[in-house]
Amino acid sequence: MPREHPIGRAEDLPDGHHRVVRVAGREIGVFNIRGAFHGLPNLCPHQRGPLCEGGVSGTIDYGPHTDWELAWIWEGEVVTCPWHSLEFHIPTGRCVAFEEIRLRTYEVRVVDGELRVVI
Amino acid sequence: MATDVSPGEARANRRETLAELFVLDADVHVHEDPAELAEYADAPWDVGLREIATVEERYLDLPGISPRAEYRVPFPGGSNRRQIAASAAEMRQGLDALNVDQAVLFPDHLLSLAMVRDPAFATALARAYNRWLHERWLSEERSLRGALVIAPQNPEAGAQDISRHAGEREFACVYLPASGLKILYGHEMYDPVYQAAAEAGLPVVIHSVEAVYPAFPFQLDQFRTSMAVHALAHPLSMVANLVSMLETAVPVRFPGLKIGFMEAGTGWIPFIANRLDKEYVERRREVPLLQERPSRTMRRFFYGTQPIEEPERRSDVVALFELFDGENQAMFASDWPHHDFDHPRHVFALPFSAEARRKIMGLNAARFFGIEPPA
Repeated sequence: MPREHPIGRAEDLPDGHHRVVRVAGREIGVFNIRGAFHGLPNLCPHQRGPLCEGGVSGTIDYGPHTDWELAWIWEGEVVTCPWHSLEFHIPTGRCVAFEEIRLRTYEVRVVDGELRVVI
Repeated sequence: MATDVSPGEARANRRETLAELFVLDADVHVHEDPAELAEYADAPWDVGLREIATVEERYLDLPGISPRAEYRVPFPGGSNRRQIAASAAEMRQGLDALNVDQAVLFPDHLLSLAMVRDPAFATALARAYNRWLHERWLSEERSLRGALVIAPQNPEAGAQDISRHAGEREFACVYLPASGLKILYGHEMYDPVYQAAAEAGLPVVIHSVEAVYPAFPFQLDQFRTSMAVHALAHPLSMVANLVSMLETAVPVRFPGLKIGFMEAGTGWIPFIANRLDKEYVERRREVPLLQERPSRTMRRFFYGTQPIEEPERRSDVVALFELFDGENQAMFASDWPHHDFDHPRHVFALPFSAEARRKIMGLNAARFFGIEPPA
């Protein structure tokens, strides 16, 4: 059965901020993107770097999904691994460079102002 | 359940962990602060270095020493990691986290030394750096060994600096800057450097860095991306210098000299070995001094692993290493703390034999640099 693990107050993680928490023996990056909370493992599948210690930004893309225009997309939704700059889309866990790589995502609930990671 | 080995044998065959293995990292980078270099520089270059120190520096980008013609747009994002090590203590701390026991120090900004236009300044920089490295790093932390830099703009001065430091066992090799090098390292003008290195018992290591510059093979201005320039600059520079050194038979003329190639991965090695062997059949009379097929000579060279190739099938790396006797000639290098460093764990986890792994992670480099591995 999945359990809720409290990790602190929602107000301590404002919009656009993220931090790494240790919960149930694992390190999880918790992100606040425009009021929605997301969780990703703090482990890059490339060389096992501390992915969620990286910065958050948007990224550049180009293709059918941008109407064949160079575009700045996913502002505030992309975390970049501090080790080798591999990018991941936070809400889906998708690796931007390698579509077949997808990280598991953790549900993060807010209950009475308290953040809880569901594992 | 039937097993192939007894429990005792199983323990003996148990795979070593990275922490148990001797890891000698053949290439890590120190950050040479211009204000610190000024303390070790001859007049009047100390004054100039203090002026350079007033400018806010960026990664491998410093006016006067390593100005980088960078036209990439700095969009937000990218790595937020600190990519410099400013002291021996900071380096040791970083290497401890990587399970690296000993390491050989190469510079940051002086990776671009060959492009410094004033030979007098280039020579002064090299001299100051070697003094600074010895006093501030090598004497501070015994697990760190140094690469003694020479300015290719003045090989005679470089040879003198090698001789000056020859008795200091904290230096493990002579570093030959290859980025933007105008005259490749096969030219006889560098003979004094090879002579001095051979006499001092120091191997030479050729090390490049990404650059766009009007010297072969760095005329990369028509490429738009760092992906292209970085992918090409490092290995093409190694290929160019290796071919140049074989043309003039440097390894034959200096038989005691060990030669290493750093930071270009290893994929280029079988390519140029096979290419040169094919030429040798037809054109041996152009290189009579070589006396054997070029790939044989190349088997006595040493090669840094970083950036390790990352093919979809990891076992392809093992196959690649077999093509150049990497088991005996490849030296693990992390390139810490630079942007494309390899964690030792990653190379360690490749499907090499236990013996090959021990050699690649440390023993080959120990042999190359003349460092005694722990018993």
